Amino acid sequence: MNCAEWETRVALHAGGDLTGGEAADVERHLGECSACQAFWSDLRESLAVLQSAHADLPAPGHFTAVRSRVMAELQHRARPWRRLAWISGVAVAAAAALLVALWPARVAPEAPRLLASIPPAPQVAKVSPPAAVTAAPSIPRAFWLEAPAGSSPRPGSHGTSRGRRPSARS
Amino acid sequence: MRRYERLVLVTALRLSGNLPDAQDVSQEVFLKLYRNLGKMTSEEAVAGWLYRVTVNACHDLRRRRGREDSLENGRAIGLRRRGPAPGAHRGERARALELSLRMLPEKERAALVLRDLEGLSTEEVARALGSSEATVRSQVSKARVKVKGFVERYFGRRS
Repeated sequence: MNCAEWETRVALHAGGDLTGGEAADVERHLGECSACQAFWSDLRESLAVLQSAHADLPAPGHFTAVRSRVMAELQHRARPWRRLAWISGVAVAAAAALLVALWPARVAPEAPRLLASIPPAPQVAKVSPPAAVTAAPSIPRAFWLEAPAGSSPRPGSHGTSRGRRPSARS
Repeated sequence: MRRYERLVLVTALRLSGNLPDAQDVSQEVFLKLYRNLGKMTSEEAVAGWLYRVTVNACHDLRRRRGREDSLENGRAIGLRRRGPAPGAHRGERARALELSLRMLPEKERAALVLRDLEGLSTEEVARALGSSEATVRSQVSKARVKVKGFVERYFGRRS
């Protein structure tokens, strides 16, 4: 088409968008220009193809599906307490499961009563230390610190006082 | 709901290009309608509101998906067969409609669907799209020329 400046107006006229003077101008031009006349005719034809295809509706099942989805959603929203109850139930169940899982770890297991199987220590008679030991002269502390190891026992490191041990049940 | 389900589902189908998306959009639109029923003053207002919300929901869906495959689909179309378009098989015309709409930019597609397929006036289309009547006229005329070229290529007619 050589009449590029008419293209927009012819396209509008093809869809019935022009009225009055604008429509009359285009009609006049179409009567004089065969190229624009053909252009206008092709526009009308292509629009007719689209409009006839548009008139074919989707299958009824597609409308029904939308209706069902909308109704289901509305019913779901109309009963929020159900949703709340469901969420609460899940939360309580999860909390209970967590509690059960963690409970043994939080309470220390009771120690086995091994001591109960140990027989009580035999009663040992109290023996008085010999007089020589009790009468030993006191040795200065500095001596013990400087003496070579094993050279002399420390007082009280042997004897009957070491043999007494506290009762297992005390 | 039954009164408007054709309006919403078919418009959403033309704008989105496939039924699953159109059904998702329709569900969303009707749930919004349910929430806003109290604000509707007349049946005419409901229809205008539904067109506007449907167009916006389709735009939002497309943005969420982040896809614009219209050009690829448009390029994939070669010459199908020869013969007058009005006498074309029903399935062929449906395919031509679907592909020619996909080829259009989003705003031109919405303008063409509302004006030429749904039959709204330019003023109603402008209100639904939130634009001026001059803008709608420009979009509609461009869309018609593009669709003409596409339909001619699709049916193997002169261009």
